[in-house]
Amino acid sequence: MSDSRASDVDVAALPTTVFGPRDLGWWGTVGFMAIEGTTLLVAASAYLYLWRNAPTWPPEHTLRPSLFWPTLSTAVLVLSNLPMIGVSRAAHRFDLAELRRWMIVASVLSVAFLFLRWQELLALNSRWDTNAYASVAWLTVGMHASLLVMNACETVVFTVFLHTSRVTERYFSDASDAGVYWVFITLVWVPLYALVYLGPYFI
Amino acid sequence: MTARAVSPSRLATADDHAAAAELERTWGDRPGLIGWLSTVDHKRIGIRYMVTAFVFFLLGGLNAGLMRLQLSQPENGLLGPDRYSQLFTMHGTTMMFLFAVPMMTALGIYFVPLMVGARDVAFPRLNAFGYWVYLIGGLLLYAGLFTNTGPDTGWFSYVPLAGPEYTPGKRADVWAQTVTFTEIAALIASVEIIATIFKHRAPGMSLNRMPIFVWAMLVTSFMIMFSMPWVATASLFLAADRLIGTHFFNPAEGGDALLWQHLFWFFGHPEVYIIFIPSLGMVSHIVATFTRRPVFGYTAIVLANVAQGFLSFGLWVHHMFATTVPQIGSSFFSATSAMIAITTGIQIFCWIVTIWQGRPRFRVPFLFVIAFVVVFMIGGLSGVMVASVPFDTQVHDTYFVVAHLHYVLLGALFPLFGAFYYWFPKFTGRRLGERAGRWHVGLFFVGVHLTFFPMHYLGLAGMPRRVYTYLADTGWGPLNLLASIGAVVLVSSVVVFLANALVSLRRGTAAGDDPWEADSLEWATASPSPPYNFVHQPVVEGRSALWDRSEAGPVVTGLRTDVREALVTTVMDARPDHRHFAPSPTVAPLLAALATGVTFIALIFTPWGLPVGSVLLLVTITMWAWPSREEHADQRSQETGAPA
Repeated sequence: MSDSRASDVDVAALPTTVFGPRDLGWWGTVGFMAIEGTTLLVAASAYLYLWRNAPTWPPEHTLRPSLFWPTLSTAVLVLSNLPMIGVSRAAHRFDLAELRRWMIVASVLSVAFLFLRWQELLALNSRWDTNAYASVAWLTVGMHASLLVMNACETVVFTVFLHTSRVTERYFSDASDAGVYWVFITLVWVPLYALVYLGPYFI
Repeated sequence: MTARAVSPSRLATADDHAAAAELERTWGDRPGLIGWLSTVDHKRIGIRYMVTAFVFFLLGGLNAGLMRLQLSQPENGLLGPDRYSQLFTMHGTTMMFLFAVPMMTALGIYFVPLMVGARDVAFPRLNAFGYWVYLIGGLLLYAGLFTNTGPDTGWFSYVPLAGPEYTPGKRADVWAQTVTFTEIAALIASVEIIATIFKHRAPGMSLNRMPIFVWAMLVTSFMIMFSMPWVATASLFLAADRLIGTHFFNPAEGGDALLWQHLFWFFGHPEVYIIFIPSLGMVSHIVATFTRRPVFGYTAIVLANVAQGFLSFGLWVHHMFATTVPQIGSSFFSATSAMIAITTGIQIFCWIVTIWQGRPRFRVPFLFVIAFVVVFMIGGLSGVMVASVPFDTQVHDTYFVVAHLHYVLLGALFPLFGAFYYWFPKFTGRRLGERAGRWHVGLFFVGVHLTFFPMHYLGLAGMPRRVYTYLADTGWGPLNLLASIGAVVLVSSVVVFLANALVSLRRGTAAGDDPWEADSLEWATASPSPPYNFVHQPVVEGRSALWDRSEAGPVVTGLRTDVREALVTTVMDARPDHRHFAPSPTVAPLLAALATGVTFIALIFTPWGLPVGSVLLLVTITMWAWPSREEHADQRSQETGAPA
């Protein structure tokens, strides 16, 4: 423009799609991770608080949790981060065909987690209304399950979107953020698994 | 060469006129009801939040007024114990969850984007969703009151009283779900305010040049983020104990009633500072503007703010000194409680120095600040008193505590009212009446002392809080009458304010862009601000964004005006980083909020609320995220550079 001046800041040439902490969506994702992580910390704190109050843990006449399904499920959750690397790589390369393939894998996994989580809840071996131990164990695992449900919904809807719509570049950045959220779900689960399922064996 | 315009009221060139007209088309809302329901403009949502919060303030005040009427004489028969319990619970819950926090986040939502020179908040649709969820929560609480299901277990709803055994029926559930709604709204606001501050600041506004109110909102948002999940989870546990028979708080089955107090106050104490820190931020702006000099000790004030944020998480047990917490623990919390007074002291001294060195203009906002310092000092001093364990044990659950907490919280209300006078021109383009404003400050100041100062003595004389009446021989009658007269004065001050606002809205003097010759960027654009905030976003050259800026200061150029494009900058130094496509208006956030409402309200009655509500949420959130054909075209145009 004829009257543009040296000290003005011209941003016309800046990119429109960026990844990771440069991107706004990443900050939203991380913000909600902080909130959800805090709610799980509250649940874990309540678990430890009630544990400290009880003479035995679990209380008498309450079965300890079984370990088979929870251990299997935790292993699957940890390993499922490998396909998410595929998602992230495809996203960074703007390779729609590959992203679509990896997102189908992610969708299948995210739904499989729901089945595994159901088995994990059953593996607690006592109903939530048995005593305070069972209540806090159920709600801790259940609160994390709510993240798995949200994750499954998001992943499946996003996969359908990628397969049925014309995709602009910004969605590649969103896909890479989905991978970040997946890592978060795994990282918060591992200590909760140790607390709720292994904890009663080590008191 | 001509400077490019920042404000639409100072368009100089033909280019500027064209840009402003196109921005208006791109960022404006559709007319009529659908535009009202679908708006994602942070200013419209901010105003909506403020008006709603103010209506709840009036309702909360009405509850308090009825309580004061009842207590104005011994053995008064106006209200029975049941109605009285509902009223004090409604009063506390309304003021804390429906007025104070939403009002502070509302000002953040309105002013943070303007002060950092952005086009909108980082997540505009989420912003709209947060408001609707908050509104539903407030309506639920009052629907409860009017159907004789108003909560009656106090604003902190202690178990075992609030548990299934001692409060059958649905009253405590209404409380728990109201809290859930308001927490969701506040948490959402915290995420978007943090992201807006970190990523949407105008070029040049590095962190160390940020306005103090923006710093205050940043600290507040982080506090919300890490404190509100505690009460949200606690209320989930409470609801579960009541609905599906869990035993979190049932000692007979290994639960623990004190767990509730820990979880609640780990949120509840930061909550006080969540209300108070934004007020301190407003004070800094008002002091700077009305003494016409940058506030003294910027770094000290910011660090004091941050320190308050951290320390406020180390205070919660001082609400529990009368329980069985170990003594060593109590001494730690006693020490931090006294320590936090230092951070407030630092700020007060910085303001005093600023006023000392400046030329104060004693306008209404500034008068509110002076009144605030007095009121808050008294609240702070009684706070240091109750920080001491032996003293606290003595006055626990008496009117002394009621006096203390009202001095602190009403202390935070003075800067808020001051800020209304200060920012009213920005909201409406007109000034509030100065003379009525002076009456407002005076009556409010006198009313606060008349109402709450006698309560110190009543508490020391042994009057417990939350009693619906007392006997004549206690001798508490005269001071209670005095407090009730004070309440009448308080009500009259609010009536003066309301009348002033309504009259000024129509007949106030026109304000122009910057009626106070103030320093921060919200004054760089028109009053009220256009949907796009700035024609060209200003480039910031110093800590005093406007006082350091020449008339022809540099601006951002090259942003698209035909699609909703916003500039994203780097976290520390606010260097331009990329151009972001901002979401357009839609009713989807409203629908998602309704789905959230159905979920949580149904959960009061049946666990089936969860699966049914989840499906509704899935549908509405998919509508929200799935781009329309038009939006897809705009996204593509923004990415490829082709015209829209």
